[in-house]
Amino acid sequence: MKPNDLILQTVTKVVAFIIAIFAVYLFFAGHYTPGGGFVGGLMASAALVLLLLSFDIKTVQEVIPVNFRTIIAIGLLIAVVPGLFSFFFGVPFLTHTFGYFNLPIIGKTALATVTLFEVGVFLVVVGFTMTVIQTIGESE
Amino acid sequence: MSFQLLLNFLIAFTWMFLKNEWTGTSFLVGFFWGALILLALRRFFPQRYYMEKVYAIVKLLFIFFRELFKSNIAVIKDVLRPKLNIQPAIFALPTHLEKDWEITTLSLLITLTPGTLVMDISDDNSTLYIHAMNAGDIDETIEDIRNTFEKAIMEVSR
Repeated sequence: MKPNDLILQTVTKVVAFIIAIFAVYLFFAGHYTPGGGFVGGLMASAALVLLLLSFDIKTVQEVIPVNFRTIIAIGLLIAVVPGLFSFFFGVPFLTHTFGYFNLPIIGKTALATVTLFEVGVFLVVVGFTMTVIQTIGESE
Repeated sequence: MSFQLLLNFLIAFTWMFLKNEWTGTSFLVGFFWGALILLALRRFFPQRYYMEKVYAIVKLLFIFFRELFKSNIAVIKDVLRPKLNIQPAIFALPTHLEKDWEITTLSLLITLTPGTLVMDISDDNSTLYIHAMNAGDIDETIEDIRNTFEKAIMEVSR
């Protein structure tokens, strides 16, 4: 006898998107206000875990067909490779810089290479969390 | 509903392009004119005018606030009473609603108004099983839910 998950699933379909946009907000808030790649990544994983809780692992893997171990590797690459470019400019490893650019719609924006590093952190956290939870969940 | 809303957004954007003002204010002005144009041409659409739906949603919100207030006062009365005078019961409420979000909204409204609590939904989504704190007047409760929440939700999805 399987219980009727109608309410949980319907609410999840709404709330998961709100959690996802909150994760994106936290990620971009990290430069001047509390937030950043780590918290953003955890929050993004929280949205995925909510999906896992209300649906099952097979459904979520069909919806998001990525291998989360690959995500960890990609995240580490993204975090390290921009740090290597510092050698071309004769500054120490992982030196980050920033500049002001005029983007077409947004206008004057400060773009920092630290954001790339944070993207790496974000991806590693998401990949790690989801790998742990899926491996524990799949082992019968 | 969604098509009319999209048209209204299109009109608002066109207004912004014509005025050459890329601001929220001019968007709102364009949206207002778009709503008026859609009101004038509403007979062309198979569905009803979408502002009626917006009104129904707002009405549902106000019904919810009113019921929350009323039923919380009822629960305060029950809590402060020296002798506990409640008769808990579980009853079935057959519902006419069909869509997932309608049933979910109805269940959440019933649960958030104290005194009643949705415990389960039958597998064919046609019956809600509700736990009531005061079982003295089940038929009355069912009628009450029918007349307030279910009617308001049907207004929205009509």
